Amino acid sequence: MINESYKVTEEVELVKASLNGDKNAFGEIVNRYQKMVARTVKGMLGDSIFAEDIGQEVFINLYYSLSEFRGEAKLSTYIQKIAINLTLNEIKRRKRFFSLFSQKANNEMYEFEIADYDTQERKEASEIVHKALMGLDPKFRIILTMRMLQGYTTKETAEILDLPLGTVLSRLSRAQDQLRNILVKL
Amino acid sequence: MNKIEIKKLIINSLNADADAVEVSGKLDEEGISYNFSETFSDKVLNKLFSAGLIVNREFEFVKYMNFAFYRIAITGVAAIIVLLISIFLREGSFSFNSFLGLSDNYDESIVCLLTGNL
Repeated sequence: MINESYKVTEEVELVKASLNGDKNAFGEIVNRYQKMVARTVKGMLGDSIFAEDIGQEVFINLYYSLSEFRGEAKLSTYIQKIAINLTLNEIKRRKRFFSLFSQKANNEMYEFEIADYDTQERKEASEIVHKALMGLDPKFRIILTMRMLQGYTTKETAEILDLPLGTVLSRLSRAQDQLRNILVKL
Repeated sequence: MNKIEIKKLIINSLNADADAVEVSGKLDEEGISYNFSETFSDKVLNKLFSAGLIVNREFEFVKYMNFAFYRIAITGVAAIIVLLISIFLREGSFSFNSFLGLSDNYDESIVCLLTGNL
């Protein structure tokens, strides 16, 4: 259970307390940012229990690298970068595995567990979003995840991905073309 | 939101000037949001603080392995460079024979050495 007193505490204090081994402080960090991490990880890898394992790994990595966090950037940006690195590594690992041991197509290596939706329309919408994301090349998928799921501006996307703004703009346009081709078939 | 509308929304989210916050908000309204399980936070904290020692050791081990690998790799590369320089200084070339240390020997002398017919 998370200590209520941490709800209004500043990020830096939470980080300091976590570094001193305060479980509640780190728990608050996990609670604050787990939805953001879920969007990135599940947007990139598909909505499945395996994505949750990567999500846990994100916070474990964060815990052991907290001492390197200097507070110059937002903690959310720092966590987002860890999440992106781990998901891209997982995609590379899966690609290697699938190219060696499986005949499945690239977009079939991502799981999708259909949740219970109250209407058929919502279920269809969810499937379209999933297929759109998984059909994209990972370098475009990360852009779509940042924009569509996380709601970041183009500038913020460039900062998080450590890419020049021009590169992000060009990828947005190329991703849009690829996306049109995918969605037309759905 | 019907199929066409959702497709439009996805494509438009990639417009450079699109209001991405509005797009993600609309998707949330449609119930398209990604979340971890309710026990996610507890699982992370358990891994860190209950089995903390094991995870910590694994993490430290991987960290040290990476560090050791770079040290060994750099030493290896340095040793190879020193070896190449010494071969070049001694033999004056990088031919196959100079690598085998045979440049001073004629084929006949090797046969004599091997057969014992001096």
